[in-house]
Amino acid sequence: MRPWVAAILYAVLGAITFVVCFPLLWAISTSLKPKDEIFRWPPTLIPENVTFESYRQLLFGSGVASAPGAGTPPSDFFLQWFANSVIVSVGSTAISITVATLAAYSLTRFRFWGQRAVPYVAILGYMVPSVIFVFPMFLTMVALDLTDTLLSLILGYVCITLPFCLWLMWAFFRGVPIEIEEAALVDGASRLQVFRQIVLPVAMPGIIAASIFSLIVSWNDYLFGRVFMNSMENLPLTVGVMHFFDGTHVDWGLMMASSVLMTLPMAILFGFMQRHLVAGFGAGAVKG
Amino acid sequence: MKFRLSDRQVGVLFMLPLLVAVGVFLVWPIAEAVRLSFVRYNPLRPDEQPFVGFDNYVFVLQDPLFWESFWQALVWTGWSTVLQALIGVGMALLLHQPLRGMNAFRGLLLFPYIVPTVVIALNWRWLFNAEIGIINHLLLSAGIIDDRIAWLSTPNMAMGSAILLNVWKYTPFVVIVVLARLQTIPTELYDAAKVDGAGALRRFRDITLPQLAEVLAVVIVFRTIWTFNKFEEIYLLTRGGPGTSTYNLALYAFDQSIANLRMGVGAAAGVIMLLLLLAGSVLYIRVSGFGREDKSA
Repeated sequence: MRPWVAAILYAVLGAITFVVCFPLLWAISTSLKPKDEIFRWPPTLIPENVTFESYRQLLFGSGVASAPGAGTPPSDFFLQWFANSVIVSVGSTAISITVATLAAYSLTRFRFWGQRAVPYVAILGYMVPSVIFVFPMFLTMVALDLTDTLLSLILGYVCITLPFCLWLMWAFFRGVPIEIEEAALVDGASRLQVFRQIVLPVAMPGIIAASIFSLIVSWNDYLFGRVFMNSMENLPLTVGVMHFFDGTHVDWGLMMASSVLMTLPMAILFGFMQRHLVAGFGAGAVKG
Repeated sequence: MKFRLSDRQVGVLFMLPLLVAVGVFLVWPIAEAVRLSFVRYNPLRPDEQPFVGFDNYVFVLQDPLFWESFWQALVWTGWSTVLQALIGVGMALLLHQPLRGMNAFRGLLLFPYIVPTVVIALNWRWLFNAEIGIINHLLLSAGIIDDRIAWLSTPNMAMGSAILLNVWKYTPFVVIVVLARLQTIPTELYDAAKVDGAGALRRFRDITLPQLAEVLAVVIVFRTIWTFNKFEEIYLLTRGGPGTSTYNLALYAFDQSIANLRMGVGAAAGVIMLLLLLAGSVLYIRVSGFGREDKSA
């Protein structure tokens, strides 16, 4: 490639990358400004006075003794919401991955009646939007007396994570050669031994990729949390931070700081998953 | 006590959790949604659920807001999908170039896909803030506009902002799929074309585009189905407003169920969405030849 062509391509790439990253850069910039600077016109692109006040408020509480009857300010729940989100994402991912891995192995190694229907069921499940699942599941949770519990959210998220976990694990196991397993079986190993000692280690990349996608989907969900949960202390992060809009005065610094903190775990996961990303998308296993 | 399971038993045992899960988490909620769409459900009196036949469907189909939502959903889906496909293919071609440091660019440009919708909605509300938002500031100081634009409180601008949000978040999806396909096109094809004297444009038209056609068709069907049913992207940015100018069917169903406490009507709207989706899935299966491969297996 000629140098000037490369230079033009780099310039175009740089410009596009800046535009794409701008909303997040702007969020970081805003989150570091003191309140008076946030409301200044014209806005300053880079904070003149850097302050971590918004982050401090989220992580260590507002420190303001609330007036009687005023209740705890929403930002004091931030860490609790964060923990809730971690619990429900990990919980639902654990269920979906376990179920999907076992079934995908069985589907690719055994023959069943009705086996061909499974991929159709998976694809249907992963096209159905959450807004159709959420109300029947909510009424079921009401009947089971589970509303406003983290367990209800874990179960709700299985609806949206299981189909594509199954899809991805199924595609993955189809690509794993069967010969080593057969050799071990001929040598007298039981099917369970083969599964634990040979299949699981080989399947790890697929399991990791599916887990990351599943974690992202449940971490990012808003709708289930909005419908299932009531008490402030039980909300997932996504639903919780929307309560920052409740007051008459919107604290954009607080809002942008929570945006940054909320994206951070996903950014870290994204760093790990980059090389799995194309493989996962290639198998068509992404919810979006 | 130690007992050994036969091979066959292990196979069945491994399938059991999935059968239970599909029943509980897929079949049950959809069946419940269909049942709800035929009853009158008042959350204050959950024990009384009189069967009302097709009343809920009649209500939905006679509701002007349903049709408004439907047409707006088409606008929202059409623009989002077309822009995502065009920008996505362009970016994928760019990212496919053999340049040093391409992995870093790939990472940064795919990043929006994993950002939580709530975060994007918050950022958008801040960027497009009418009084002190940076977008208005940049446009004003560049002289492109003379007055501040009330992005989120004028109907067309609100729809435009929502479409922009959707394009920002989901174009990476198109990029990744197209990029994966580009990497599998044999380079011999290009070499042969070069020997025959075909220019860059010819090579793109005669080799790249035909090779991408199938995967693009699949991506477009997928994006169309998903975008049509999106809820959070619109709800969190505009709540369907100003007025009802950014409602789509998902917001309509949500609104009927939650705000108007008409779960039956909401479920009927949901079932209509499901029927549209099934039609779309049939299209997907036709386009992709999905399921053909396992007949040979």
